[in-house]
Amino acid sequence: MSRRASSLRRAISKPEFSIFLIFVAMLIVTALLQKNFFETKSVVRNINAFAPIILVTMGQAVVIISGGIDLSAGTAVSLITCVLTTVMKKADPVSGVWALLAALAVALMMGVINGIGIGYLRIPPVIVTFATSFMWLGSALFLRPTPGGEAVDWFYVFYNVGSMQGVSEGLKAFTAIFPPALFLILIGCALWYLLSRMRIGRYIYAVGSNSDSAYESGIDTARVQTAACMINSVFLFLAALFFVGQSQSGDARLGDPLTLRAIAAAVVGGIALTGGRGSVYFALVGALILSLVNKIIFFANISYAYQTLVGGVIVIVAIAASQAYTLYNRRIIAGDGVTLS
Amino acid sequence: MSERTNTVKVLEARGVKKNFGGVVALSNGNLECEQGRITGLLGANGSGKSTISKIIAGVYRPDAGEIRLHGKPVHYRNPNEARQDGIAMVYQNLSLVADLTVWQNIVLGGEDSRGPFLDNRSAKERARQIVDQLLPGLDIRKTIYELAPGQMQIVEIAKAIFAQPKLLILDEPTAALEKAQVKSLFDTMRKLVAGGVAIVFTSHRLWEVLEICDDVTIFRNGENVGNIDFARDGKDAAKIVSHITGEEMKARARKRRQIAQGEPIMRIRNLRYGELLKDVSFELRKGEILGVGGLAGQGQRELLLALAGSYPGSTGDVEVAGRAVRLTRPSTAIRNSLLLVPGNREQEGLFLKHSLFTNIVFPKLGLSRQPLFTPRNRYAEECRTIVSTLSIRTSGLDAPVRTLSGGNQQKVVVGKWLTFETNVLLLADPAKGVDVGAKRDLYDYILRQVHEGRMSVILYASDNEELVDYCDRLLIMYEGEIVATLEGSEINEDAIVAASMRVSRSAHEASS
Repeated sequence: MSRRASSLRRAISKPEFSIFLIFVAMLIVTALLQKNFFETKSVVRNINAFAPIILVTMGQAVVIISGGIDLSAGTAVSLITCVLTTVMKKADPVSGVWALLAALAVALMMGVINGIGIGYLRIPPVIVTFATSFMWLGSALFLRPTPGGEAVDWFYVFYNVGSMQGVSEGLKAFTAIFPPALFLILIGCALWYLLSRMRIGRYIYAVGSNSDSAYESGIDTARVQTAACMINSVFLFLAALFFVGQSQSGDARLGDPLTLRAIAAAVVGGIALTGGRGSVYFALVGALILSLVNKIIFFANISYAYQTLVGGVIVIVAIAASQAYTLYNRRIIAGDGVTLS
Repeated sequence: MSERTNTVKVLEARGVKKNFGGVVALSNGNLECEQGRITGLLGANGSGKSTISKIIAGVYRPDAGEIRLHGKPVHYRNPNEARQDGIAMVYQNLSLVADLTVWQNIVLGGEDSRGPFLDNRSAKERARQIVDQLLPGLDIRKTIYELAPGQMQIVEIAKAIFAQPKLLILDEPTAALEKAQVKSLFDTMRKLVAGGVAIVFTSHRLWEVLEICDDVTIFRNGENVGNIDFARDGKDAAKIVSHITGEEMKARARKRRQIAQGEPIMRIRNLRYGELLKDVSFELRKGEILGVGGLAGQGQRELLLALAGSYPGSTGDVEVAGRAVRLTRPSTAIRNSLLLVPGNREQEGLFLKHSLFTNIVFPKLGLSRQPLFTPRNRYAEECRTIVSTLSIRTSGLDAPVRTLSGGNQQKVVVGKWLTFETNVLLLADPAKGVDVGAKRDLYDYILRQVHEGRMSVILYASDNEELVDYCDRLLIMYEGEIVATLEGSEINEDAIVAASMRVSRSAHEASS
């Protein structure tokens, strides 16, 4: 009995608990503001609206846990959409397959470049990824100076099966409840679930928490950091698939607003910017919280300028609150000054 | 254990050299270790012990010299290669990852897989077996940052043992341990040795070396100056110390103990901080050295940090020299001349990348009135005085503190306060990881200051010997409370241990 009580206290003292509470609170507020919030249609619409930020946030979380940060995430998504829509020809369904492969290769390549900069050249991650974000942007503008391009029809499979031809009614009905975006997110979760059970998953935490200790334990820290960047690439790739499925076009500036929002969402979800701490799944919850906040601001019916302003303030408040909460609990548990050099 | 017939040399290091940016860390390092024996590695701070250990473990690459493992020359480029060859090391500053759990740390870098996935069940099992030998009752599911320093040290040791090494290097594994934990470590070491492991053991505590080692190698100024085989040459503590310091051993500088009669300079009443400090009350008299002892992690460190203003959330009445003071910020503590020498010097006491000069002058710049332009020459002169008073070994005032050895770094932490008018010096385990000679210099200086009536001292030391040697009065803490006060002739190691373990509960009357 007392054991259960103490494990309950442990659960409450975890930052995850506060994140969960905030999420529930946000759900309640949103549901009060939007009468049909829990209707299937509106749930599906919300999943579609939130999917890109969720995927980018999960990728960002992996990089931050490994001790890095990715300021190039948004432009990377843009570049992937440009690659996809450049390789594809609407008339030729097979070109879609080539586009997928080419885009995945480009995505992984971007991860490798970031990883080399961070891990092997030991340039601070902020600098590396800020610089590479311009490389991605430049490349994207080269491929697609203005939004456009074309996509094969079956790319709707990543957004809305209902608008496709030659698909059984049953499948259409199914995806009207469980939209493709949900599956993209589930693919992301499954990927991380598998990775976190392998060496690399453990090592990403170890390197992010204390790279010297990890090195002394015989871990190739540069390789782990590169791998983290490449895992992030896969999440960005999934986000880009959604975008192209949705708009059937590529856009070099499409991902710009995603970068900072994803970092904020990861932190709201309990990912420590210092690395080594946090859960990728809760980063997903963080992305949900941030998206709901935007919705609430929208419902509050304030002008767009204020929306942006309030959005920024809320991000800072949320990050400060979650850090204060973590700090408070760590002090009580760890007796404060227990630090490792 | 002195069967010397068919011995197998596991390790031979000859003429190893290593420089760090112009500072010679190792000029001629030689070290041998045989299968089934424990070799003590001794020497003052900065004598090159840690450096040669890290070279053997593959962390650093030597500038010159030869290292042979089982007769074969080896050149490790990283710790992983050394690990593959069966070399495991317990690092002085620990190689643990704070955000992983105990068992995850123990298996870190040597995880077993089942198919593509980690085999966590067998990892936990094996980790538990090793931990049970060293510290029964430690929950291996705990995260490292939840542990006390002594427990962390044990996890670090368990991690090295998990690698099933043929050569185990223990770099000051006992500094953070209590006596009972040291005993169980020694039991484990004996078992490993019986199983054919060779061990290199570093410690500043002479009794430990005399108890556990078969032979010792002594380093001074980057080279080895002596090898003593206990079976052949006998255990002569004085000889070992003279090798370490390069001079004849002086008698222990035991302080003339006095029951201080002076008026109280500081009064603490009902000091509380969360679960860590519970209604601590005491008085500190002028010219007194007040010790704080007890088992490791009973709130001693927190008490000193609270007095230094590091805990804004602490409550209680504090009076310094008759005036009420609210100790909620370090700057108020310093302005009231409560000066802290923290135990964790690398994080709390120093700017490692900055020069000796900057480190010593910095508190001055921040806290006392300064002329518009810093009088660099005058301060440099003061700095030189401090360097010579504390005999800090450095290549110059501009040397980054990072390049100094641990003991000399600790002197800098004390040194930066020397130009202040000191009322109360708070020493949080100042001699942890500091060698015999440097420790003596440090305490000699403090004793002199106290005798001249310039300061009072609150001293927390994890080594009871220091408390016995230097304290006038001693508070024993247990779970954040003061449970006993020892005075004058009551202060001896037995009494401290008895009070710490709360052998007689009647010692409870003490605190206020």
